Amino acid sequence: MVLSQRQREELNRAIADYLASNGYLSALSEFQKETSMPGEVDKKYAGLLEKKWTSVIRLQKKVIDLEGKLSEAEKEFNAGGPTRDKRSPTEWIPRPPERYSLSGHRSPVTRVIFHPTFSVMVSASEDATIKLWDYETGDYERTLKGHTDSVQDIAFDNTGKYLVSCSADMKIKIWDFTTDYECVKTLYGHDHNISSLTFMPSGDFILSCSRDKTIKMWEISSGYCVKTFTGHREWVRMVRVYHDGSLLASCSNDQTVRVWVTATKECKAELREHEHVVECIAWAPETAHHDINEAVNTDSKKGKGNTRSGPFLISGSRDKTIKMWDISVGLCLFTLIGHDNWVRGLIFHPGGKYILSASDDKTLRVWDIKNRRNHKTLEAHTHFVTSIDMHKSSPYVITGSVDQSVKVWECR
Amino acid sequence: MSSATEPKQLEDVQGDGRWISQHKRFMYEAKEREPEVVFIGDSLIQQLQFSEIWVKMFQPLHSLNFGIGGDQTQHVLWRVENGEMDDVQPKVVVLLVGTNNYDHTDKEVTEGILAIVKAIQERQSQAQIIVLGIPPRGEKPNPLREKISKINEGLCSKLSGTPNISFLNAEFSSFINSEGLIDSKDMYDYLHFTNEGYRKFCEPLVEEVQSLLQTFLKVENTSMHSSSTADLLCNDTT
Repeated sequence: MVLSQRQREELNRAIADYLASNGYLSALSEFQKETSMPGEVDKKYAGLLEKKWTSVIRLQKKVIDLEGKLSEAEKEFNAGGPTRDKRSPTEWIPRPPERYSLSGHRSPVTRVIFHPTFSVMVSASEDATIKLWDYETGDYERTLKGHTDSVQDIAFDNTGKYLVSCSADMKIKIWDFTTDYECVKTLYGHDHNISSLTFMPSGDFILSCSRDKTIKMWEISSGYCVKTFTGHREWVRMVRVYHDGSLLASCSNDQTVRVWVTATKECKAELREHEHVVECIAWAPETAHHDINEAVNTDSKKGKGNTRSGPFLISGSRDKTIKMWDISVGLCLFTLIGHDNWVRGLIFHPGGKYILSASDDKTLRVWDIKNRRNHKTLEAHTHFVTSIDMHKSSPYVITGSVDQSVKVWECR
Repeated sequence: MSSATEPKQLEDVQGDGRWISQHKRFMYEAKEREPEVVFIGDSLIQQLQFSEIWVKMFQPLHSLNFGIGGDQTQHVLWRVENGEMDDVQPKVVVLLVGTNNYDHTDKEVTEGILAIVKAIQERQSQAQIIVLGIPPRGEKPNPLREKISKINEGLCSKLSGTPNISFLNAEFSSFINSEGLIDSKDMYDYLHFTNEGYRKFCEPLVEEVQSLLQTFLKVENTSMHSSSTADLLCNDTT
């Protein structure tokens, strides 16, 4: 038998109690004799045998219930997140839970971006380092060291040959991805923390913006600052170039978004509607024009057939809103409301149907442009979400956070 | 003028330089982090950042914590006058200090706190200042509790009606039971707060800060990590 001595005694006493309480007294006395049990049956064994008997049935029922619930949950999981092959890539959106949660940074993550061609993503942090990760396997690749203060932004050129980074140490660094990830150049010129930078589409120039209130254009080959755009009254948070290179947009602590003509340095538009610092901006790709027009035309029947051609820009602010702007006329077309804290990161879905945003309310949100509504909310991190990127062709979204982690989200 | 109102660095009796290290870090954070709320004071402020109510209510408001354990009014005054309030533009400043001024009379401590308020106002004219009344201390009734009551009364009469300053008195009755005892469930060493103690102590403060910021946060679930995959799937609209 499998019972221990103590268990056997317990069972015997429980049997004795059962016999006694059901009046099987001769059986009881014989049983007590055979098991050499003392006369009185302890009260604590009262009803024990019956309890054990019924508990098995109760547990069996519970197991059946739980198995039913599990299969239901599995069904919901598979159906709720439709399989990728059933949907067109323009409908792919990130689904919880995250595929990888990667730790390694020792301070808040400030920016995350995808490499345009390799299966590599790059993260920048207040710990002054830049880290490379394989987003398909979740492997850590390497750390780029060189900055001496918080790295604020990073960007690739279209080919992925060069990575540029900017930092609170007032330096811009260029890293060569074709050789051994070496820092091949350092650019000096800003007088304060550099918040953001980006490549010109041609790949020959970089644009950067700073707490010194200026935007600067740098020639890669010479390393010289060739243009300075002035006008913002406070810290410039982000600068982004229109896809043909003719315009650039910037946003600032002065609560404005400005659009500049690249060639002449002229400030073409000053968009003033946010009620707090404007943290981030993104230009709409051509693929989004159709849905933006649909979103606007649902309002005014008059406007139907009257197609706007853009360019369009979105901005995210500490006032918790996201605004869509038509740059050709300098108008705010609509405002997306839903985040409960500062909006920190914005990107258009390559398919043009959605906007993805990251916020200090710890969520990642997907916005349906056509219906101007919050389509899906993911509880992404345990602290502020600072940055978001979506791959141009692979079904992945990445986020970075003050919780020091980088997360990879698979889209379906 | 007493030593409670004369700005002074904390004497580094142990010789590890921790006090000045913290001061330097606060100055860096002030410059880089763009806080909307700054908490400044002694250990009662410092330990708040490890409490649940901080993570749930104050952290989302973009708060920084400039609390240093053991600080008296003159030490906080020195820090305010030496950079911690220079490179920063908070909307709200929360001040709690005075329980460590063992060598000063209640009037001197009150004056010390008022001197800090003045120093903050000179540097942060745009900010709303919230002065917190000092909470009671000691398991049993003792002279320090009396002194603290008098300090709080003094602050209340001096600060009431001043523009851009609010005084939130500490509700002694929420921490002292009918026998005059403080429960270790609220203050584990009869001075510093537990999570539960901070929750009680900060309730009115949360309300005040939020109304000053005109921000009403959605109160999160009591358990921080309760959002399960199943919850998220229920929210899925496609």
